[in-house]
Amino acid sequence: MPTLESDSVTITPSEVLEYLFCPRYIYFMNVLGISQQEAKRFKVVQGRQVHRQKQIRNRAYLRKKLGVVKREFEVYLSAPRYHLRGQVDEVLTLADGSLAPLDYKFAEWKNRLYAGYRMQLVLYGLLLRENYGKPVQRGFLVYTRSQNLVVPVDIATNDFEKAIDILAAILDISRTGFLPRRTPHKSRCVDCCYRNICV
Amino acid sequence: MLTWVIYDIVKDKPRTQVAKTCQRAGIMRVQYSVFLGDLNANEIDELGLKIKSLIDEETDRVYIFPMCKEDFSKVRLLGEAFDKKLVTNEIRELFL
Repeated sequence: MPTLESDSVTITPSEVLEYLFCPRYIYFMNVLGISQQEAKRFKVVQGRQVHRQKQIRNRAYLRKKLGVVKREFEVYLSAPRYHLRGQVDEVLTLADGSLAPLDYKFAEWKNRLYAGYRMQLVLYGLLLRENYGKPVQRGFLVYTRSQNLVVPVDIATNDFEKAIDILAAILDISRTGFLPRRTPHKSRCVDCCYRNICV
Repeated sequence: MLTWVIYDIVKDKPRTQVAKTCQRAGIMRVQYSVFLGDLNANEIDELGLKIKSLIDEETDRVYIFPMCKEDFSKVRLLGEAFDKKLVTNEIRELFL
């Protein structure tokens, strides 16, 4: 558990997804150190299995329709400047020389792109930009429960700025121990693992 | 949301496992192969995935029907039926 004064706090894109679901996740996880116990959830376990299978299968396959010329798998990167670290499922090099992160989701495509998924891709893009020094203009999401549907996502410059602001907000909660407001969406509380201790 | 889980599973072992999975999900057995109870959207999705991992999709059949309370109020029960109040959570709320 990171200490409040510590400067070594680092944030993963998954934590940003949780922050966007409800800012209090960060408080319960990073400040109080109460685990989500997500590994006990069936969907999480299944999702991890799908990830493992994806690592083994189709390693040589290049998504030529998307203009991919090179693929790297499970790339672990960090950007100390933004206190960000994470593992990108696939780093794709596109024909125009730019890079694109690809993230597998154990989810169904419901005809709309969730802000959290989008922001996760932007953060992976930020990691790529920092480490490879190449432009990142798009990313891809693969919905494994919708016949591996690939959804391209455009990433604009101001998306990176928004992501950096969110990282700063998360860092602030982790460092100061400030209890943020819960999400205004009450429906999210129904399925939240912290609902019993959230006042 | 009130959800019916109705199944027809050929082999004994997966059938028993599916019944136990439904019970663990917190829904009630209203007949041998029929369960009913209140689940949220994520719980319905998770239960569906769990059942899918247990059954043989070539031979078995499982139906998961979410149903709104308005429609449930129109359900007619004949003979030795179950207690509707128990299924809709109405009794549990009295203790809160």
